[in-house]
Amino acid sequence: MSTYVIRRLLLMIPTLLGITLVVFTVMAASPGGISAQSLIEGQNLEPQAKKALEDYYNQLYGLDSPPAIQYLRWLNNASPAGFTFDKENNISSFSLWKGSDLGTSFRYGRPVLELIEERVPITLLLNLLSLPLIYTLAIAIGVRAATERGKLFDMGSSALLLGLWSVPVMLAGVLLIGFFASNQYWHWFPTAGLNTRAALDMPFLPHWGSLKEVALLLGAGVAGAAAGVGLAQAPRLLRIGLLAGLGMGLGFWMGTGLPHPHVGMNLSLGALLALGIGGLGYTDYAGLRLGLLGLLGAGLGLAVGAQWGSGEFTRGFLLDRLWHLVLPVLCLTYSGFAFLSKLTRTAVLENLMADYARTARAKGLAENMVLWKHVFRNSLLPLITVSATLLPGLLAGSVIVESIFSIEGMGKLAVEAVQTRDRELVLSITLISGLLTLAGYLIADLCYAIADPRVSYD
Amino acid sequence: MSSPASSLPPPRQSQNYTAQVARQVLAQWGARLGLAWIGLLGLLAVFAPFLASSHPLLLSQDGQLDSPLLRYLTPADASLLALFCAGLILVMARASLRTWLVGLGSVLILAGVTSAALIRPPVLAIYEQYRQQEAAGGYDWVIYAPIPYSPKDYQRDRGETGLQPPLTSPQADHWFGTEENGADVLSRMVHASRIALGIGFVATSIALLLGILIGGLMGYFSGVMDIIGMRLVEIFEAVPTLFLLLTFVAFFERSLYLLMVIIGLTSWSGYARYVRAEFLRLRQQDFVQAALACGLPLRSILFRHMLPNGIGPILVAASFGVASAILAEAVLSFLGLGLVDDPSWGQMLNQAVKSSTFNWWMAAFPGGAIFLTVFAYNLIGEALRDALDPYLKKS
Repeated sequence: MSTYVIRRLLLMIPTLLGITLVVFTVMAASPGGISAQSLIEGQNLEPQAKKALEDYYNQLYGLDSPPAIQYLRWLNNASPAGFTFDKENNISSFSLWKGSDLGTSFRYGRPVLELIEERVPITLLLNLLSLPLIYTLAIAIGVRAATERGKLFDMGSSALLLGLWSVPVMLAGVLLIGFFASNQYWHWFPTAGLNTRAALDMPFLPHWGSLKEVALLLGAGVAGAAAGVGLAQAPRLLRIGLLAGLGMGLGFWMGTGLPHPHVGMNLSLGALLALGIGGLGYTDYAGLRLGLLGLLGAGLGLAVGAQWGSGEFTRGFLLDRLWHLVLPVLCLTYSGFAFLSKLTRTAVLENLMADYARTARAKGLAENMVLWKHVFRNSLLPLITVSATLLPGLLAGSVIVESIFSIEGMGKLAVEAVQTRDRELVLSITLISGLLTLAGYLIADLCYAIADPRVSYD
Repeated sequence: MSSPASSLPPPRQSQNYTAQVARQVLAQWGARLGLAWIGLLGLLAVFAPFLASSHPLLLSQDGQLDSPLLRYLTPADASLLALFCAGLILVMARASLRTWLVGLGSVLILAGVTSAALIRPPVLAIYEQYRQQEAAGGYDWVIYAPIPYSPKDYQRDRGETGLQPPLTSPQADHWFGTEENGADVLSRMVHASRIALGIGFVATSIALLLGILIGGLMGYFSGVMDIIGMRLVEIFEAVPTLFLLLTFVAFFERSLYLLMVIIGLTSWSGYARYVRAEFLRLRQQDFVQAALACGLPLRSILFRHMLPNGIGPILVAASFGVASAILAEAVLSFLGLGLVDDPSWGQMLNQAVKSSTFNWWMAAFPGGAIFLTVFAYNLIGEALRDALDPYLKKS
């Protein structure tokens, strides 16, 4: 095993070199290329100042030397082992641990590493919030579709998921912003950024003016949840009817919240929500139904409680941040889980038909036990291994989401870097995302070997 | 069927199989709907200038007939029309796959070269002249295209500037509204279907060609070739495709053909992986060993014997690949890195939230078109996979 890992790690080196070489070649071969002249183009400077700036850039980045030398120079700086230079740019010594320097950004004039360290946590936050959501939804839907193969739920969910998968992230983002964040429709969420400026001065947790309000809010939430759970256990027709009525009411309420109320809009919104919320009552999975309706009731209860309260309430940094994250995370989540639930479905199906599942059934185990104790555990294998390869993909996916919602993360940094021809930044981002992807692949392969004793790499 | 198989002439296995797969794909409603939508888009793309143009289709001025539309037809329009006619003839003649490829390829080259040499439309198009002439009564009669706006006809003379929602004012006749420069959205969308379809097909073909070539060589020769090839595949896989695309596009000029090549160049690695795996498996099989023993040339072994046996899963991947190529173009245009002046769905979608207000029609119509096209290709891919992979269908 360890020889395998070492071989893989060594094979990473040529790949990483190749990645940077490809990107560097693209940049060097482009018309205009990157030269000191192209960097200060468009700046209104005196000729002398221009010349001085050009010389400065040439000296700093070596832009006047041929591209091959420039690449080698960058490589030497970036790799942890290499030559060190003295003041006159002559090689002074060779060091194995000189530390890597990713250079200075053209545009920001700051060390690239510093910029990336600033942006990575934001992108990670987005992705780490959406990953658990993706997995829960995907597993819930995938397992259910597999156990009901060929029935309505399976067909419906697979068609719906394929449709969801085909919705471009930018369309979803634009629609979400347009309807739920712009003040032409429901101004529920902020349009951009990660927090409001005021939130920076707020305490971390939300807090209320008086204890009475907290009690009221908690009471309303609990009462709502209890009502939801109670409703979930009512007979089917009753609960569907009640929920549809609730949806209708909500729709009307949403319609009246619009700046330009319109009766037709009210009616269609009412019908839409009645259909959606009534559909929740249709679910025959008792656990799922209890959970969904409980959540819905709690949410409604909290909303009503907040309305009744006197409003002496500070949002706090945490709640503000979460409030800003709802729409971006939604965008990142929906596109990921369609693929994953399909994967879950095939894995569970394969295992449901396996011999060991038949054996378990034959010895008299209940179908639920077979599903969750035996089949599900084995079906998790491909899901675990996929997660390692999912992370780099999510990093790329946040390019669009971050640009739509103006979030200052890695994705936005990448777009800005290529738009402003910031060579050091582009090279570093490629290097880092390449490293992440390769590490992801390696971890996926190792996870596979650890989780499945049949796989061995020796 | 009770007719004895021996009395039939030996059927050509590949054709039979193709027909069978096609029948199974067409049996699914999703695939039918998807194909219908793609077909509609194809028609829109071919006949775009006749459907949406500010140039009058036909007019009579002082008793003389004139057709500005035909005068302004570009070489690209003419080549597309020629291709369409060739396709129709081939469908009528029930041609084989080989005839299709050869026929369409030769027509494309021939029509492209002759139209580029012969057709020289006027460089400058001033659309106001028609309206002014018409208002001044200069024409006896005029027939316009169904959508009487060109995609780049930035409505300077109608008092409409910038974004306008569809059909709000009583005399408005922009069915899908106008975009930020006052051009008709529907007209731009019709013309943009060319870009979407073209990018999808050409980029995926380039990626397929590269993938099959590299993957096939890797799988067949293995050893050193395989190790080098896999590094190449890894290089292109390790950088997120979108990021590589962004870099390519940001550093080169914006041209449709370059965009196709770039999207193709950045997405071949998946196909190469598939083909390699297929070829590694096929290489061990008896028929390949037999072909080798017969001393057939390498070209024949690779492309006549191995490829047809391994092409199935690759076609499924290609169908999904067309969808992602279209998406890639839309994303680039959305981020403002696509074509500059040419209409594109992604670029129109970009205008939906650009000016602090939400212009719903700019999101709904172009966004809906992107969604439907991607969905159509995904549906076809899904149906194709079900038809090609009996194991999955069973499950």
